[in-house]
Amino acid sequence: MERGYWIRSKPVYTSLMWQEKATSHLVVAQGSGGMAVLKIFQQMHPKQPITVLYAPSSDSIVDYASTLKKVVPEGLQLFDSVQEMLTTLKEILPTMYMGMRVYVAGSEGFIWTIAESAKEFGIEDIDMIKELTGTLARSIYCVHCKAITHNITTNIGKCAGCERMLFVRDHFSRRLGAYMGLMVDAESPGQLPEIEEIYP
Amino acid sequence: MVLGFKQETFRDDYTYCNSPREIKRFPFPFAEDRYMYSVNIEPHGKGKEGSVFEFALDIDEHYVAECIDKEITLEQDPGRYESLSHMMDAQWDFVELSMESLARDYPEHFSLKKNGLQWTWENKPLGIKDTFTFGDASTLAMDPFEYMGRQAQGDFVLLDQRDETLYADAGFVTTQADWSLAFNVGMSWKEWHGPVPRVTELGVMDRALKYLLNLQLGSPVRRLNWTMTINPRLDTSPESFPRWGSDRNTVNADNVGDRVHLRVELQSLFRLPRSNAIMFGVRCYLISLNEIATYPRWAKRLHRVLKDLHPDLIEYKGMTKFHPTVVEWLANFDDGVILELGTQPE
Repeated sequence: MERGYWIRSKPVYTSLMWQEKATSHLVVAQGSGGMAVLKIFQQMHPKQPITVLYAPSSDSIVDYASTLKKVVPEGLQLFDSVQEMLTTLKEILPTMYMGMRVYVAGSEGFIWTIAESAKEFGIEDIDMIKELTGTLARSIYCVHCKAITHNITTNIGKCAGCERMLFVRDHFSRRLGAYMGLMVDAESPGQLPEIEEIYP
Repeated sequence: MVLGFKQETFRDDYTYCNSPREIKRFPFPFAEDRYMYSVNIEPHGKGKEGSVFEFALDIDEHYVAECIDKEITLEQDPGRYESLSHMMDAQWDFVELSMESLARDYPEHFSLKKNGLQWTWENKPLGIKDTFTFGDASTLAMDPFEYMGRQAQGDFVLLDQRDETLYADAGFVTTQADWSLAFNVGMSWKEWHGPVPRVTELGVMDRALKYLLNLQLGSPVRRLNWTMTINPRLDTSPESFPRWGSDRNTVNADNVGDRVHLRVELQSLFRLPRSNAIMFGVRCYLISLNEIATYPRWAKRLHRVLKDLHPDLIEYKGMTKFHPTVVEWLANFDDGVILELGTQPE
């Protein structure tokens, strides 16, 4: 990539930091995101009410559940899967009030899955603090068949919908939670560039 | 003046071509021998009689064929029309703007009769006549924006203004130069311009946004943008890229004048009264290099612009494969004479 070239649609992820003026805190994490949760609890144990939702992930060797149980002072809920977590999240969000802050840590796919659920309750992603952990794997939206393929770690990935080989364009849609994928050999069918892992 | 509408195609056998009258009014975008992005925005006031700038929405000899092509594209991919749920006021703003201006500017082809909120719209070239209640979407067969999007040439994006930026929250996009509405819908100004090279450094996008946030009702603006397309194909979307991508390999010295087209977008922006949204119109004009060369001044100018075009722009505009062939062909027309500033054909 040319130096100084910056794709403005690509989200900027930061480190989780407590928002001290919040009236309550909702921390949501998956897999290696557990480490980010442990880190903010080393910063401080906030005075306001805390809810922490955590699910393990297959892409993280470490399951932080048992450590979180020792560190998180209140409101920790553990799940076996992100699906179960989302069900609970959708039950919790209607009971929350203005002033609550949302913190999300995990893979990019996880972050935008949570953002999608939060949006249904009027929480914009700009108001969420997001930390990317563990993997750079991308979700790819196939612009041809509109299917989304998850966990792509290479510059070119196969669409789970139409099986075309997609070039992963560095252009991100927050609404879809995915990068744009374009048929890589549309100009010259069958000619594929070398496939390399660049999002480990 | 009464337009004769041509029967022609923008796909498969590509019978599209321009009459001498249409060539002469083509919005040639290059006033100088060099090109780089700039905030080339100007008032979209009433332009010279017969020019593409004469009216708010330009209708030309390709009107009927383009509307038919839109229908085909939309049927193949309904995702070319999208509207987020909060955009209904802007949809009606679009209906009002398009119907009023078409009926006012082309009374021989379109008419609008208002009886309170009961409106009767007639589109003679397309054989449409409907009475509906303005503001009540249930009285039309489809979303109001889609209804009129199908009846005007070009693409339309409705931009919602909030948080000091613009969001592309609705669109009717069938004649686009390689951008995806289905992917971009809901994006903010900075996000959807993400992939355009060089503009961040130039500060172009920030300044253009600042300008547009202050766009006033009744003072629309416009700019021209351009690229090159192989064959007179309107639907050069990323969605249909597998259908047209390989066309870029077909250009050679014998067919370049016929196959390669300059694609100019007349982009217009109107503030809308109810929603405070902005209507962003992208009207696409296609002209083959052979047609351009009927005016030697244009051929010379285009040769110089393309010869020295920044490599990033050649790549971004998808011209890498055929750029040398085009420059070589155009060189035949360029005697090196100094050209005065201006886009005129002669």
